[in-house]
Parts: sequence; C-alpha cells; structure tokens
Amino acid sequence: MGPHHPSTHGVCRFLLTMDGEVVVKAVPYIGYLHRALEKICENRTYPQCLPILDRFEYCTSMSCEYAFCLATEKLAGIQAPERAEYLRVIMLELNRIASHLIWFGTTSLDLGAITPFLYGFREREDILDLFEMTCGQRLTYNYIRIGGVSRDVPPEFIPKAKEFLDKFPAKIEDYVKLLNENPIWMIRNQNVGILPREMALSYGDSGPVLRASGIKFDIRKDDPYSIYDRFDFNIPTGKVGDCYDRYLLRIEEMRQSSRIVRQALEQLPSGEIKTKVSANFKPPKGEVYSRIENSRGEMGIYIQSPGDSKKPLRVKMRGGSYNHLQVMPEIVKGGKIADLVAVMASMDIIMPEVDR
Amino acid sequence: MDRTELTKYLLDRFSDKLQLLDTGKAEPVFILKAENLLEFCRTIKADDTLAIDFLCNIAAVDTGDLFEIVYSVASTKNRIRFDFKITMPYENAEIDSIQEFWAGANWHEREVWELFGINIRNHGNLTRFLLPDDWNQGFPMRKNWDAPDFVRMPEL
Amino acid sequence: MGLIKEVPIYLEKFPGGGILTTSLDYVLSQSRASSIWYLLFGTACCAIELMATGASRYDFDRLGMIFRASPRQSDLIIAAGTITKKMAPRLRLLYDQMAEPRYVIAMGGCTIKGGPFYYDSYSVEKGIDHIIPVDVYIPGCPPRPESLLEGCLTLQKKVKKQKLADCS
Repeated sequence: MGPHHPSTHGVCRFLLTMDGEVVVKAVPYIGYLHRALEKICENRTYPQCLPILDRFEYCTSMSCEYAFCLATEKLAGIQAPERAEYLRVIMLELNRIASHLIWFGTTSLDLGAITPFLYGFREREDILDLFEMTCGQRLTYNYIRIGGVSRDVPPEFIPKAKEFLDKFPAKIEDYVKLLNENPIWMIRNQNVGILPREMALSYGDSGPVLRASGIKFDIRKDDPYSIYDRFDFNIPTGKVGDCYDRYLLRIEEMRQSSRIVRQALEQLPSGEIKTKVSANFKPPKGEVYSRIENSRGEMGIYIQSPGDSKKPLRVKMRGGSYNHLQVMPEIVKGGKIADLVAVMASMDIIMPEVDR
Repeated sequence: MDRTELTKYLLDRFSDKLQLLDTGKAEPVFILKAENLLEFCRTIKADDTLAIDFLCNIAAVDTGDLFEIVYSVASTKNRIRFDFKITMPYENAEIDSIQEFWAGANWHEREVWELFGINIRNHGNLTRFLLPDDWNQGFPMRKNWDAPDFVRMPEL
Repeated sequence: MGLIKEVPIYLEKFPGGGILTTSLDYVLSQSRASSIWYLLFGTACCAIELMATGASRYDFDRLGMIFRASPRQSDLIIAAGTITKKMAPRLRLLYDQMAEPRYVIAMGGCTIKGGPFYYDSYSVEKGIDHIIPVDVYIPGCPPRPESLLEGCLTLQKKVKKQKLADCS
C-alpha cells in the first residue's frame, strides 16, 4: 500500500500481510522523502539553518524554527525581548490551529467526508492571511530568528486577529455539529486503533496521541519554555486512546489555543523585537537538546557546537511522527485496511518529520 | 528537581559510572562508559525518584576523532530531563541496544546504524530504511564521506 | 484515438474538407483543455499549497480540474514536492501508467533543479526533467496558489494549440 496513495499523508509505504480483509502484519517502509536535512545543516551557518528547518515539518514551520532558536539561545545564553516572546507565542499558537485544521481536513477526506476539508481550509486561509501580513509567506515563514523575530506585526494585524478569534468558536461548533454525533464517523472512529498507556509511553509517543491514552503530559505546562507559564489554558486528556478520543482532543486543543492567542494579544507589550546577534554568530562549545510541544507531539532539536565555528557540528531533529509511525504496526493488527487508514489519519503523521 | 539537585543525586548514586560534562547549559550532560549502559538504563527506569519512562532522542555525532552517541531521557511524572553520552573510537564501533527498556529506541538505533555505521548488538532488525534499497555508497553522515554527485555549498 | 486520426485524412480529400479538420482540431483541443484531471501526487510542502489551491478560496474545479487517485484516470501529473532518489522510479512508473495525451507540471523549486536541497544533500534528485518530460515549470518555494493557477492556464493554452497530428 503506497508509496503513492491518497491516504498515506505523504509518501509512506506499508507492506501488509492480509487474511482476507483483516490485517495480520503491517510493516512500514519509509525514506521516500529523506532529504538529508541534517547533513545540509552541518554545512550552513546557524542563521542559514532556519529556512532548512522550516521545511522539516512544513505544517508547523514556526514551531520548527522556534525549537532551533530555543536550542541556540540556550547554548549562547541569549534572551529574546518581551515583545518578541509574545509575538512568538501568538505565531506558534496560530500555527498550531492551522496545523490542526489541515489535520481536520485531511482526516475527513480520508474517511470519505469531503465537506470538512473545504471548511477546514477556508478557516486556514484566514490564518494564512494573518501570517502573510506579517512576514510575507504562506507556508514556510523564516520569521522566528535567533534572538527574536524578524519583523514587527503591522497595525492592522491585531484587529484582524481579534476578528478571526471572535468568529472561530462558532466555526468549531459547526464542525462539531457535522461530525461529533454522526453515526458513520462514530462507527469508523470509536474503538479503532486503541493505544494502551504503557505502550504509548514506552514507544516515546507524545502530544495528542499520549494525552488521548490518558497520560496528562504537555511540555508547555510540565517543562515550560518561553512565556507559557503566564497563560491560563487547560490540557484536555482522553480516556480510551482510540481515534475518536484523538479527534475530540484536537478539537478541544484548537479552542484552548485560541484562548492563549487572545490572552497574548491583550498582554502584548511594546518594545524591541530582536536582540542584536552578530553576523559572525559563534556560540560557545557545548551541546543542548531542547524540546517543544508541537501540534504532532514533542519536537526536539539536538545541537552540538564545536565552539569556534559559525556552523554547528551536528543538528539532530526529532519529530513526533517518528515514534507514532513506529507504534502503528502494533495497533493495527487485527483490524481492516480501512481501519489502518483511519488510524494513520488520526495519529496525524507527516512524512517529512519521519524521513527528514 | 532542579538541575543542581539532579546532578548531585545522579553523581551520588552512580559515582563510579558517570562523569559530568560541565557545559553550564540548561540540562546536565553526563558521560557514561559503554559497558555500563544496560545496567544504568535498568536502574534509572526502576528508581522511584527518577522514574525515567520516556526516551526522547538518540543522536549519533561524528566529532572528527570519535563517535559519540547521546541519549536524551525524561520523566513524565517527576520533572526531570537529562542527557548522557557514550564515546567510542571509529574502529569496531558497537553499542548495545536499549529497546528492552524503551521500545521507541528501535528506529532511532536503526537510523544510527544506517547513517553512521555503528553496529548495534541485539537489535534484531538492522535493515535499510531511510536510504534507497540499492545504496552502496557507504555511511553518508560520517564526516569523511564523499560521493561523485554530492555537491558542497561553496564558501562565500 | 486511432479512428479520429484517420478521419481527417479522408475528409481532406473532399472539397472544403480542410475546414472540417481544423474545426475538429479546435473542438477537440478546447474540450481537452477544459477538463484536465490531475493525479494527486504530492510529496512535500508544495502538496499543501496544491491542496489549498483545490480548496475553497482558489478553486481548481472552476478550471475543470479535479483530482483523481489513479494514474489511469488522469491526464496531468502535478509533481509537487521534493523527489528523492528512492521515489524517482515510482514517479517514472506513475508517468508510464498514464494514458496519452499526458502532461506534466513541475511545481516548486525542488522539482526544477533540487530547490533548497541542491547543495549538501545526498539523496535528493536534482530536478525531475531527467526522469519525465516536463511541460510547464512553476518556480517558487512553495509557489503561491495564484502561480499554480497561472501555470495551469499556461498548460491549457499549450493544449489548445495542439493538433490531432501531434498526438501519437
């Protein structure tokens, strides 16, 4: 099954051993999008690595850039100014909502419902308008830089963002009305792809997948970075760990993200947007692994710096989908092919995170 | 548990096996000897104060003289995160697999083998998965690797 | 297609037959251009922009283009995203499975010459035009939906100029 298949979210290939319609064994084959990003980063200066990291996980480019900047700032001891931190949080959370909308659209498309795809992408266009107003790009932004952000938001950003946040809850209610109590949706998602707690923890799953299995762990609350400890938001948790729980969790996360953006917009201070970082930026010798809560799980960047060089010695990227895809063969055993499609969609696997 | 308490606890408990690498950065990094790896992992997983149940990342580094494998671990119950690493020379680079403690290590170790050439004992499935099936050009992430169609970015 | 190709040869023998063949050319190429069905082939970032172009704001359906999942049912392959050495034989296979007349749009910098991954990458195929013949190149990283629509309109112009005699 794959690598070119409408439901494999990129290019993933599964070798399935079947007994009629039931999957007995599934082996994923990856590497169709292995672009050697880590080797590229070894020959780029630190600011030059940022556009490469944009393409690591393009649905949430801001998070990838931010993870790298967090690691570099920890290594070099740089602190970004207040306004920059608030702008970063606003962009990160808006990016999280945009990524969940892509997930919402493609999951429904995989399971046969075409209308939510159009609804999700319609809302996403509003968010992309906000991003385009700020940094000029719709998908791979190169906005969060080492020491701050690259440009300030224009004056029309805040009213437009508030307008989006005012009408967004009503749209979420629309989606909920379409799908939550829909019998077809419930049959295809409930008790499908149940991931037990211990297995999720052992395989290194994180993010919505871990929380749906019952473990309340969110890096924004348990290991806070940036200024997340100043905001008030809930962490939804699931009970059973099936696809339906993961779906409900992500819808709730979209609501919580809009709460965070609203609070950040109200508290936004004025001031500088970037600490001055020299053109020949050479962080001191050391290594750091920093992790953030991405919309797909834990995103970690490990950087080792040799000390007197403009280029890093090693950059290792860790994406949430890597571990989710690793656990998939265990949970699709005994189900049908259509269940495999539902599980892959609900775990929100994106192939560039797996392949780099 | 913050950084100083964690460092003190780990050094007291494993004084003969661990060595602190003083980086002064956020999370502590320790150096471990390769033969103590399995015992160390077993202990930190079973210990109640640490309760390390989450393996974040396994990264292999080619420093030019040595290979280093860096393990990043965390605990979801207690707020703990630290790294430990193992260094080894280029010839006969080998390490044990830790997937009996954390099953997520499987693919990370497979990738380390495929891109760097470090052999993983007791892994069970060291086959190609990121590179094409007919790849015969060596281990690409090593510093001394080259190939005819590999274009390096020119220095400006 | 074989029958239609032979008809003009007979038609031209009649007086005024030339007008019939040119009108036939015109009608057929117009209808072919107005309803190009494309294969859903997206590997990387450009695939998201392809999906966004097919969604509500910039609509592909108004140009008559709808996505199909199978290469046997599509006329166009929009290669969106980086093609790696591992994926290249699959792309060739998909192209070979498409029925003629078939067209290719290379979307994004990666398919033109490797894009941002030209330097220092050991596994990226530097451009797809040595794998399959390309009709339209759309630069950008990723190209905006308006660029993609312009690329599709350019392809339609190219298709409209095609004559029956060109198709094999």
